[in-house]
Amino acid sequence: MEYDLPSDFDIIVVGTGMVESIVSAAASRIGKRVLHIDSNSYYGGLWASFNLDSISKIPEGNRSQPVVENKENEIVYPVGNDVFDLRIHSQKWHIPESNPEKDVDESDSAVAQEEHEWTQEKLLKISRKFNIDLAPKLHFAKGDFVELLISSNIARYSEFRSVSRILTWLNGSLEIVPCSRSDVFSSNRVSVIEKRMLMKLLTSCVDGDENEFKGYEGKTFQSYLKDRKLTENLIHYVLYAIAMCTDDTLCLEGVEKTKRFLGSLGRFGKTPFLYSMYGSGEITQAFCRLSAVFGGIYALNQSLNGFIYDNDNTFKGIICGKQRINATHLVMSLEKLPKEIVDFSTTEYISRAIFITDKSILEDEREHLTLLLFPPVDRKAACVVLELGSLTGTCPKGLHIVHVFTKQTVNPEDDLKHCVEKLFCKREGESNSSPSILWSFYFSAPNTFSQKLECEKLLNTYVCPGPDLDLDYDPAIERAKEIFERIYSNAEFLPRAPDPEEIIIEGEDNNNIINETEERAEVPADQGDVSSELAHEDDT
Amino acid sequence: MEDDILTTLKILIIGESGVGKSSLLLRFTDDNFDPEQTLTIGVDFKTKRLNIDGNNVKLAIWDTAGQERFRTLTPSYYRDAQGAILVYDVCNYATFSKLETWLNELETYSTKRNIVKMVVANKIDMENREVSRDEGLHFAKKYKTLFIEASAKTRDGVQSAFEELVQQIIQTPDLWDSYSLGNNVSLGNKDHPAHTSQCSGYCNLV
Ligand SMILES: Nc1nc2c(ncn2[C@@H]2O[C@H](COP(=O)(O)OP(=O)(O)O)[C@@H](O)[C@H]2O)c(=O)[nH]1
Ligand SMILES: [Mg+2]
Repeated sequence: MEYDLPSDFDIIVVGTGMVESIVSAAASRIGKRVLHIDSNSYYGGLWASFNLDSISKIPEGNRSQPVVENKENEIVYPVGNDVFDLRIHSQKWHIPESNPEKDVDESDSAVAQEEHEWTQEKLLKISRKFNIDLAPKLHFAKGDFVELLISSNIARYSEFRSVSRILTWLNGSLEIVPCSRSDVFSSNRVSVIEKRMLMKLLTSCVDGDENEFKGYEGKTFQSYLKDRKLTENLIHYVLYAIAMCTDDTLCLEGVEKTKRFLGSLGRFGKTPFLYSMYGSGEITQAFCRLSAVFGGIYALNQSLNGFIYDNDNTFKGIICGKQRINATHLVMSLEKLPKEIVDFSTTEYISRAIFITDKSILEDEREHLTLLLFPPVDRKAACVVLELGSLTGTCPKGLHIVHVFTKQTVNPEDDLKHCVEKLFCKREGESNSSPSILWSFYFSAPNTFSQKLECEKLLNTYVCPGPDLDLDYDPAIERAKEIFERIYSNAEFLPRAPDPEEIIIEGEDNNNIINETEERAEVPADQGDVSSELAHEDDT
Repeated sequence: MEDDILTTLKILIIGESGVGKSSLLLRFTDDNFDPEQTLTIGVDFKTKRLNIDGNNVKLAIWDTAGQERFRTLTPSYYRDAQGAILVYDVCNYATFSKLETWLNELETYSTKRNIVKMVVANKIDMENREVSRDEGLHFAKKYKTLFIEASAKTRDGVQSAFEELVQQIIQTPDLWDSYSLGNNVSLGNKDHPAHTSQCSGYCNLV
């Protein structure tokens, strides 16, 4: 059955990326009539996750008619631009298409071997077991994102796994970063004296008063660490892994970053980080679901044919297919913006690689969810490596999905090469202990965080950035909140949604009232006890 | 924690817009019927305890939140559901014809292979019937689903629809027996199945 969309809304949100989805949920939540619409047939835009089959078909961008139409009293801008597209560098298989002999040989040894002989055919058959993120994210256990999920009660739509270890590359090999108190004390890579130095340093970063950092205002974090007489190894751990800094990061910024890391320790698992089960793409969908529950109307796969403005450049409505839909406000993702509107001269990119591999970069008895912080070397920027196993619901058993990314300087392959070469087998079929890459995907994604997004020319129009290099969603949440508050300046941003038990439906057939009960299940402020217990369980 | 609960089950309701999905849900959980259908704003899912053959089970029944209308249900809506109720309106043949599409959708997105399906022929209280009982039964047989005729308005068949579905799920232990993945963290007090071993397995934020 075909339905027409209603033709009048308070707000139209175009694009289902992270920032758009948060704004949509927040507007629905306070009772605004929201149309949330996307030209893609899937949720998430540049923040989506794909299965193996569909990631080979992702469009590089939106195509649109390039002309601005001037009608009587109205201007119609075309939808979309090609500036903020993904740039696909290469997508390749490194295994045979199929393995015909296998079917003949049915012996037991063949079955045992089979796991190691992946073919394209075999992987594509289980394509839906893959959830491959365009923008993988981790969540600080006490970060803005986790707090927002809990305070808004959106948490019920998602599940997470904790990152089980953090690695760094030190003196030519992978090393586990001791990041919790128990890690520090159980590590045999760190001497007793170093242990005390490290604990003391971390404590002064968290609790240190202003005097601690006096005189370091213009100096680097590295110089502070050196002055504290830390050993080379400890400086490496703190600077590159815990604080995720470069040699040039200023001291106070380094301290802030150390605090962000340490502040999230001990809530769940052994590291400060969580990862969303089934991929980061789930998160945008969780916000969309909330928006729908509060009345937001969803339409994907729509042909968006124009944004309508009056002669004063005030937003009037959109053209969707042949239908005109009016609204007061327009919120859209950057890639949907008409090209003539924003100054695009300064676009930066993120170099990304995604691999399917046949074993972990650092094998262990149990499956790990690994974050590797690859330090900057020889003028190459630091790289983030995230290795996901089957327990995250993003790939089949026996395989791993590995995301590698960094700020772009040249192109994805060149920017990541030094890191990739150290972690994986160089040639196909070469057998040593490193994992082999079965499939690789290199692409550039626009890093629009620093993009100027103020849309001064068009009124009642708000532009959402795409994914950025932050490990978590903090900048996205901040931007969404900012947009929401500009539109609805006096309204509460994502107040807690009631649990189903709290919605009491009274009366029969008439006199129906929904009561949100006043009493709320308070989130305990301190999760310390639970978490140390959790961290313990994690060990078993 | 209610420790006498055998398991928590996730049940979905799908079908075309207007067939009475939300009405069936509210009739079952709150024994309520609202012709103006204003009640479901803010309703995500409803929970209800049910005693089946001496076993206490908790149901979390998820409504579509209107996302069925333009076919924009998210994959996570379907995830981990043990049972699905597919509804059509006996007075609207097109809603019956569309059932096959909904079955396909289930096939594509459900993560449990042997998810139990119940076809509910709703609005049998109305005069202008377009789909006969036999046609409905035939469909159910063809696709190996359970079948019942019901009316959210008169209560007819509503309780039985859920009970029979749950009975069938209970008889399929590998659908619900807690083979928890372990070490998952859920940040809310969600009513989600297979989270029985909260701390060694899934972890709750609250
Ligand atoms: N006569 C009658 N009307 C029903 C029945 N079930 C639902 N309705 C009405 O059908 C309309 C759509 O119901 P709703 O539950 O919102 O359908 P949904 O879109 O599938 O959730 C509403 O006006 C209901 O009051 C029923 O069993 N009998
Ligand atoms: Mg409904």
